[in-house]
Amino acid sequence: MTTKDDKMLSTEFCGMRFDTPLVLLSGCVGFGEEYTRVEGFSNRDVGAVCLKGTTLEARLGNAPHRVYETPGGMLNAIGLQNPGARYVVDTILPTLDFEETRFIANIAGSTVEEYAEVARIFDDSSVDAIEINISCPNVKAGGVAFGNDPEMSARVVEAVRRATTKPLITKLSPNQTDIAASASRCIEAGTDGFAVINTLMGMAIDIEQRAPILGNRQGGLSGPAIKPVALLKTHQVYQVCRPHGIPIIGQGGIASAQDALEFLIAGASAVGVGTALFYDPLICPKINAGIAEYLDRHKIPEVSQLVGSLATAPPAPACGN
Amino acid sequence: MTKPHRNTIFLEEAKILAHEHYAGDQHVLRLAAPGIAAKAGPGSFVHLTCDASRPLRRPISIMRSDRESGEVQLLYKAFGKGTHLLAERRVGERISTLGPIGNGFTVDRERKRPLLIGGGVGIPPMIFLAEEMRRTGGYEPLVLMGSEVPFPFRVRPSQILVPGIPDGVTGAMPLLDDWDIASRLCSLQGYAGCHEGFVTDLARHWLDAMDAAQRKQVAIYACGPHPMLEAIAGVAKNFGVTCQVSMEEFMACGVGGCAGCTIQVTTESGPAMKRVCVDGPVFDAESVF
Repeated sequence: MTTKDDKMLSTEFCGMRFDTPLVLLSGCVGFGEEYTRVEGFSNRDVGAVCLKGTTLEARLGNAPHRVYETPGGMLNAIGLQNPGARYVVDTILPTLDFEETRFIANIAGSTVEEYAEVARIFDDSSVDAIEINISCPNVKAGGVAFGNDPEMSARVVEAVRRATTKPLITKLSPNQTDIAASASRCIEAGTDGFAVINTLMGMAIDIEQRAPILGNRQGGLSGPAIKPVALLKTHQVYQVCRPHGIPIIGQGGIASAQDALEFLIAGASAVGVGTALFYDPLICPKINAGIAEYLDRHKIPEVSQLVGSLATAPPAPACGN
Repeated sequence: MTKPHRNTIFLEEAKILAHEHYAGDQHVLRLAAPGIAAKAGPGSFVHLTCDASRPLRRPISIMRSDRESGEVQLLYKAFGKGTHLLAERRVGERISTLGPIGNGFTVDRERKRPLLIGGGVGIPPMIFLAEEMRRTGGYEPLVLMGSEVPFPFRVRPSQILVPGIPDGVTGAMPLLDDWDIASRLCSLQGYAGCHEGFVTDLARHWLDAMDAAQRKQVAIYACGPHPMLEAIAGVAKNFGVTCQVSMEEFMACGVGGCAGCTIQVTTESGPAMKRVCVDGPVFDAESVF
């Protein structure tokens, strides 16, 4: 049986049918076809694939080095290298197989107008949804300036909302004081869903050269090291989303079925996999199998029933004397 | 629609068949990886998990690959934490190995006098390339190697004369000599039989001793540290010979997904950032330098 046949893993997200709750994260899988080089990898094992962040014009991205391993994770500073929205829509999207999974565009910009323009280009395309990258930490004067400020975030969401009828997912930054306040404003501005979280800002230094290792000086930290932060942020955003029925892709350091289950229980309707794919390109079917096994064992008929099932009060002590 | 790139890279839990350790923190690792061995070519590499505590894979170029026995052989230098942990792995353990990856060297069949230049951990792909040329036949290659740590083999005086190479520079790699392929060694460390200088010195001497018709037979294939490749690209330009260089950069996914390993190259439409993993690791020297 392939993952696609396993109905208990199938779930709905912003009106889209995801065959499994797994989502491959933007920036980790290029424009959707890169990992299919690996024998045994299939886009059918995930509910959706978020494409590389795309801007209006092509961007070269940052100077090397762009990646560096750190304990429990890695730093990256790619800098939104992409061929521009028009090229993605005209040349890349026609090569994707939409039978295999849902493809979600990820859009970025330096101005509110640029976000709207990119959204308009993708609105008239085959993508299933649009993710707004208001939180890319690696572009100067770019996303993070919007992502740190709830009002600016809301302005971007509003502008994109006017530009498209496709489902809108807003990717929130953990590098802000009150992520719940930001989520609240983005809901008012018309987002249909959230991705929580983007990377945490970090740095690495070469002590011999006394220089930053990354060409961009700073980068985004991902991987298992950030999982507890991501889990909390997901749960905080879930409190805001629950009354509105707004779904969340929980993401940040997920590297096993247990990690994925924690995010689902915390309130995520789907879970993102990124850095763990670099560790094990064939990890997705393993996570799917682990989630299915858990659902079986707990007699839960479908994954959506697990979402937000975190106990509201602490359980009684196991031993009462 | 056809997708020829699909299913071209294999993930194998490769058993360590041998792990030999040499001076200068150099190590030769032999892995049982039949899927990778069947498809590897000169210049391609594997992306492997050094240790569970450092799960981000490290790219290591392939030195030899045997389709029949299903073995791949790697030579690496322990440099950072990951490769130091790799050096501690023992025979019989398994290493998660992804490969073969990358566009390797494209042998120019018109140029029968190839010059292969390897510096440090850039040596292994040159062994692979030399073996491939030996298998194909019809080539008269010269292999130049440079190292600032002792070579991971016993340097032996060559039985093959090479015009243009200074007297006394006779040290060669025994394996290549046994294959009847000329090689010469360089180091600033004063090793016996080795040229005390750079690989580019010997390359110039060799090219200087040729006439124009002979030079038209030369193509340079090189792998090694960036400054060495830049100098080799300069020599190639001066002598009007073609040159392919194998590049390296910090890498995350290794399959083209993250754009973490890019380098800047010049294309017809201007500067571009190309991924070392799947656009390279081998590029035309003119596009890089």
